[in-house]
Amino acid sequence: MLAFLDDPKVLHGIYALGALTLFFIGLYGLLAKRHLLKMLISIAVMELSVYLLFIGLATSPGETAPILSDGLTAFTDMADPVPQALTLTAIVIGLAVLGLGVSLAIQYHRLTGKVDVASMTELKEL
Amino acid sequence: MTLPLTPVWFVALPLLLAFASPLWVRLRLLMPLLVGTPAALLLLAFVLLPEVRTAPLLETIVIAPPLGIHLQLDSASWILVALISFAGLLTNAFIWLADGEPYLRDRRAFVFLLLLIAGCNGMVLTGDLFNLYVFLEIAGVSAYALSALRRDASALEAGLKYLIIGSVAAVFFLFSVVLVYLQTGQLNLAAIAVGFGEIPGPMQILIGLLMLVGLGIKAELFPFNFWVPDIYQGSHPAVAGLYSGLLVKVFLFVLFHLVFLLLADPKVVGIWLMGLGAATMLIAEVVALRQEDLRRMLAYSSLGQIGLITLALGFGVEATTAGGLFHMVNHTLVKLLLFLTAAVLLRSFVSAQLADLAGAGRARPLAAALFVLGALAVMGLPPLSGFASKLWILKGFAEAGVFWPVALILLAALIEAGYYFRWIKVLYDPSVQLQAVHPVGRLAYAPMAVAAGLIILLGVAPFLVDALFSEGAQALLDRGATLTAVLGAGS
Repeated sequence: MLAFLDDPKVLHGIYALGALTLFFIGLYGLLAKRHLLKMLISIAVMELSVYLLFIGLATSPGETAPILSDGLTAFTDMADPVPQALTLTAIVIGLAVLGLGVSLAIQYHRLTGKVDVASMTELKEL
Repeated sequence: MTLPLTPVWFVALPLLLAFASPLWVRLRLLMPLLVGTPAALLLLAFVLLPEVRTAPLLETIVIAPPLGIHLQLDSASWILVALISFAGLLTNAFIWLADGEPYLRDRRAFVFLLLLIAGCNGMVLTGDLFNLYVFLEIAGVSAYALSALRRDASALEAGLKYLIIGSVAAVFFLFSVVLVYLQTGQLNLAAIAVGFGEIPGPMQILIGLLMLVGLGIKAELFPFNFWVPDIYQGSHPAVAGLYSGLLVKVFLFVLFHLVFLLLADPKVVGIWLMGLGAATMLIAEVVALRQEDLRRMLAYSSLGQIGLITLALGFGVEATTAGGLFHMVNHTLVKLLLFLTAAVLLRSFVSAQLADLAGAGRARPLAAALFVLGALAVMGLPPLSGFASKLWILKGFAEAGVFWPVALILLAALIEAGYYFRWIKVLYDPSVQLQAVHPVGRLAYAPMAVAAGLIILLGVAPFLVDALFSEGAQALLDRGATLTAVLGAGS
């Protein structure tokens, strides 16, 4: 019954739609929420959606992981390894930035008791 | 064994030295290395200069193109690399010699400053779109951390704001990279440039818009630059000088490098970028008029000059591009000088507000004199370097018969004169007796004197560097030569 999902076009369409929905959820969170952690999470959601889009659209049904093992000796019918390598790199970078952001937010909260971007008042237009 | 002198050292040396920092603390080499690393990179740049001027240096590590790490040093990226090393050298020398805030002189600041230099060099040199994203994040993360280093409320606020807006920019840029790869199957910039024309039109526009948002935020173009003054005000002035003098220039260069390389006809987007540049320039200059904080005023003035450079580069003619590259260098020297004087004034009088600095000219005569020199150079008065580069840009527009940018640039210079003279007048206010609270060592003025000397030298004798900037503009604009050099003659 779900055989139509094996059609790369249908599958890629679903992936693209899902990833874009996630992207706009992140964008909405970023623009609508003022809590520091919520904004950081929104950015993380946006990043995730880009990774999903990349991996989803770069792989077609029937392709296996690009690893030579279990009797596989030649690179046939394998997914393009480049997007996966790039996504791993991007995940690591995204995690590092998120970690830095959360630690700055915690320090800021300890120092001032504020968690709200809108209430940041040290630096602003006179 | 001899180590070959290749462009990879511009990235590898600061990275290696930064991550070996615990060793340097133990050997008490932290400060000498902080200054020595950019000095060594500057030396390397000058050693490679004769080679770069004959032909662009290409370096491919690991596999053959299009796979592998790919670095490209041509005349245009040489100018930027030399500028990055020089700006790093002056700022680091100031941090060492001024003997100031301890948080800027410990291991963390050392690591972040060197990583910032490594990231900027990488962005300028790389010939690979994904590496560009990685270097963008390296430079970005070190900049966020440098902003927040003081760890008081205003520094943390600046760091957080910078981190949030910078991450959003990086997400948009990554999105465009992903779309480019899905469409062309390539990451090498030259290979993408060959295939870019075959991408369907709407997708090209989407990729272009995502890149513009990502790089526009980072390059502080209107309307993506609302956050900039906050960051400059919250950071230490020396660090803000690095952002204005170095980081923004690198992102502008990357933006225009991509425009000139990927698009067969850059004129299509050039006119839009010129519009953004003009809007950035005029709005920033007008808002700068009413700033009461020295750092905010300098931030808006920096945005104005960024707009001017965008206007010049967006036109895409050799004369304005060469003038724009020259103005990049001049503006870096001037803004480093102005932000370092701001650092001295902030340290001496504990405040950077206009009202608190009245009469500062007599308590700190040297700093005030250097501020006046920098202000005159920003406005573009002869015989200072700002005059030479602005004249070059204006001549380029006039020769092409396009006069609206000329009028706008002159108008912007008038507004600049307005707000800089307001500050100069207050600095030399005779009715107030101001006493310096904290001492500033004589040696702190040495890096500022070097910058001031270069501003005068380049203004008096611009013919010393004319040829170099013309070659840089040609290298930046000549798409065919780059493609042939990277992919071989057949393509």
